[in-house]
Amino acid sequence: MKQTLILSAALALGSLSSAAIAAESDNALIERGHYISTASDCVACHTTEGGAEFAGGKAIETPLGEIFAPNITPSKTGIGSYTYEQFDAAVREGIRADGAHLYPAMPYTAYAKITDEDMKALYAYFMQGVEPVEQASPESELPFPFNIRLSMLGWNLLFLDGKPYQADSSKSDQWNRGAYLGEALAHCSTCHTPRNLMMAEDRSQLLGGASLGTWYAPNISSDVNSGIGNWSEAEIVSYLKSGHADGKSQAAGPMAEAIAHSLQHLDDEDLQALAVWLKSVPAVSDAADTQPADSHGQALADPDAVLMEPLPEDMADMSGAQLYEAACSSCHQADGTGAGGLPSLVNNTVLGRSNTDNLVMAILDGVKYRNEIKTSYGVDMLAFRNELSDAQIAQVANYTLENFGRAEVADISADEVAVLRNGGPASNLLPMARWGMGLGAVVVVLLLLVWVVRRRAK
Amino acid sequence: MAQQTTSADVVIVGSGVVGSLMAEKLALSGISVVILEGGPRIDRNHVVARFRHEANKSDFMAPYPYNDWAPEPRKNNDYFQQEGPVPYSASYIRGVGGTTWHWAGMAWRYLPNDFQLQSKYGVGRDWPFSYDDLEPFYYEAEVKMGVSGPLNNGSPRNKPFPMEPIARSWAHQRVQERLSQIGYEVTTNTVARNSRNYDGRPACCGNNNCMPICPIDAQYHGGISAQAAERAGAKIITEAVVYKIEHGADDKIQAVHYYTPDKESHRVTGKIFVLAANAIETPKLMLMSTSDKFANGIGNSNDMVGRHLCDHPRTKVSFDVDEEIWPGRGPVSEYSIQSERDGDWRGEEAAFRIDFSNSNPVAGVTSKLISQGVYGKDLIAGIRQQSSVTLGLKNIVEQLSDPNNRVMLGDRRDSLGIPNPKFYFSVDDYTRRGNVRARRVFQEIAEGLGGTNIKFMDENKFSLANHITGTLGMGNDRATTVCNGEGRSHDHENLFLAGTGVLPTVATVNSTLTAVAVGLRTAEFIMEDLA
Repeated sequence: MKQTLILSAALALGSLSSAAIAAESDNALIERGHYISTASDCVACHTTEGGAEFAGGKAIETPLGEIFAPNITPSKTGIGSYTYEQFDAAVREGIRADGAHLYPAMPYTAYAKITDEDMKALYAYFMQGVEPVEQASPESELPFPFNIRLSMLGWNLLFLDGKPYQADSSKSDQWNRGAYLGEALAHCSTCHTPRNLMMAEDRSQLLGGASLGTWYAPNISSDVNSGIGNWSEAEIVSYLKSGHADGKSQAAGPMAEAIAHSLQHLDDEDLQALAVWLKSVPAVSDAADTQPADSHGQALADPDAVLMEPLPEDMADMSGAQLYEAACSSCHQADGTGAGGLPSLVNNTVLGRSNTDNLVMAILDGVKYRNEIKTSYGVDMLAFRNELSDAQIAQVANYTLENFGRAEVADISADEVAVLRNGGPASNLLPMARWGMGLGAVVVVLLLLVWVVRRRAK
Repeated sequence: MAQQTTSADVVIVGSGVVGSLMAEKLALSGISVVILEGGPRIDRNHVVARFRHEANKSDFMAPYPYNDWAPEPRKNNDYFQQEGPVPYSASYIRGVGGTTWHWAGMAWRYLPNDFQLQSKYGVGRDWPFSYDDLEPFYYEAEVKMGVSGPLNNGSPRNKPFPMEPIARSWAHQRVQERLSQIGYEVTTNTVARNSRNYDGRPACCGNNNCMPICPIDAQYHGGISAQAAERAGAKIITEAVVYKIEHGADDKIQAVHYYTPDKESHRVTGKIFVLAANAIETPKLMLMSTSDKFANGIGNSNDMVGRHLCDHPRTKVSFDVDEEIWPGRGPVSEYSIQSERDGDWRGEEAAFRIDFSNSNPVAGVTSKLISQGVYGKDLIAGIRQQSSVTLGLKNIVEQLSDPNNRVMLGDRRDSLGIPNPKFYFSVDDYTRRGNVRARRVFQEIAEGLGGTNIKFMDENKFSLANHITGTLGMGNDRATTVCNGEGRSHDHENLFLAGTGVLPTVATVNSTLTAVAVGLRTAEFIMEDLA
């Protein structure tokens, strides 16, 4: 608004003053900062559902308690008083203006790779392009020893590579752009790369797949069988833009959220660059994967057979085939091949991986966010959490694996479903941390906190 | 007969769409709520499985388990006893979520004039409040239920629909285009059906079995709100058949009593009681609950409980269109004509809305051809040809309230010893004249679509619509109504009535949305009482 006024005033004077030119370039800088913020998905954590943008207050559930994302609008309760240097330290080094260390729920290890130029644009956007909101966020109160923020120092010394992205001159500009987007802004590896014992990303298995506790961020390295090496660039772009790669995969859980908030808004050239880079990430292979995840299963030969099978006296005893027929076939069709935007289960990657958590999670919590994705195909999937028991979910999931997917992994148990239903494996972080101190391994504890980042969108 | 006592601020009898949405609203405001539901929980997947296995696809009750402790009218059962010239038929579900488990999702508002029929046209009854008073609650109901529809449907509104209308099927498009040429405007129906993802439920994908069950919850049902009420803190006790309402010396209701299926009796006390157990079962319960002081039943000192029963005594037509329109894609009830819902003639003859059937005609066509002795290749060709052109219409015709049309207690009893309902029902000349006009309009429409093989329903027969209204009618006249505009019983200040029974006029649309809006309005008076 202010810029527009200056610009109008300048135009009214009949000449483009230097102030007007400066204002115009300010606008461009702010706009670029906006784009960087979108690509970095700041909104995902710093905005509550239905709340003012970037006003914070969103509780990020962790096994140790809630971490509240701060207000990052340019207000008194937000970051209005931050100088560029303070802003930079928070985003790229994980240090607040008051000197306190941020919990690594903030993916500053990835953001450390953001270039100086982009940081300046990001700062311009947050100071001038974001509406200030006065709203104090609750203070995160984690149990001892996690409440000692200073102990992040040691971990940072070990795992924070404070250098901005360095272009690889042996690669194309497009590849470098993709790598920058993927590594620095979109922080793909935060979820998709497995962690070592110190809860730091294991770079030898970059994008090799990791559990977020409930949803599983699959292997997206270039391995043909274990990763997405057999996806075309066009398929990757389609997936990142619409959450849908035809005949292969649909985004759900935190990935659907990331597409809705962030990836769908990227320029086509940037998505293309991301795809080029992803295709080049070294293959992380699992010998158990003997064929691509999207090549399992086949259409049911006789979909009417289930209707010849009498229903049990007690409907709680319905077979897997009967459950599929009743609960799933109206959309995925009797033979499993889907129709008109309703996904096929045959050759669907969610039924083709060795890890079956996403299949169970999709049944428990459904597939959401289609309204928020502009060019999405198809519709949301219902959550069956309140309709099907753990045993029934295991039963119908195993049925779909046996018939439409990777039959050898059709061994999901009701207990496994129960664990996912209740938010993932119980955390032993706290007892480990307290014992760990006795063993002089305080640092480990704090590192474990990184884990929360990967659970934030649970 | 063990006696156990439960208690809550508000005790609601009935977990259907109205009871559940009221319960959710009350519970969200911090009030403790218990819902007593006569039937069991209903599992959508079980109903879908039974429907797919059921030979008789047109019996919408067949996939729902029958319970002799909470009986309901069924094809060929004798739950309803009849006394009047026109047999009263209805279909409803006793179970968590109630009858909206099978409906066509029709979620129309009334027209403003439907609230002032007497003062405007000198017939029927006036409401104790106006359309404008109800408008915000209509919207609240539409947001809760997820209603989609077109703006130009005749009922004014302050805010847009929560969802845009459902995409039109080919049949809808063709009928709309052709009838516009002869001056009839066809509109997409206003429905509690998702045209896009809404409230965690997917968009309609056209399974075309809205009745007996939407297999994917794209169509709203009361079970969704029953779950929401529980999430908000309300407690639902199932298989709890309320059989007695107990009042104190001050006439206030003190408790309700329910039987379990094995006839164990329980007593539930509360500060406020809401009867939302359907427009037949609620008056039945009130009539059964007699005392020395209320010898004709609770809330019935003026002998008005169960009277003024109204429905839509519809007439129908079917014909073959002169082009392939392929009805049966998309939802079963998709488009309609609004122009006959109000007019100067309304003092003389009934208004109506014309509804086009979009149910898949294959089963009906097939059995008709087989009964005509058609077999083999001819049968297949015949099914294909006739299914593509058959079109059915009906009129949702209003009925004036008549105190003689009523629900009573029958002499037959169910397994718990509770009386079955008994009916006196008739259809007066006002409605019959409306049906005569409807047949004229049907003829014009059929001709506009090049119709052949036009078949009208017998003019002395009526197809009732399960839009059961009037039996608990609200109004300012204490002598002729059961409750006031708040839904509060004239006789008992802490007893509220809810559901389609409280609507004093039946109008020309399905009664669910209006009953929900009125119930949500009543909930506010309950909240004021408890504040």
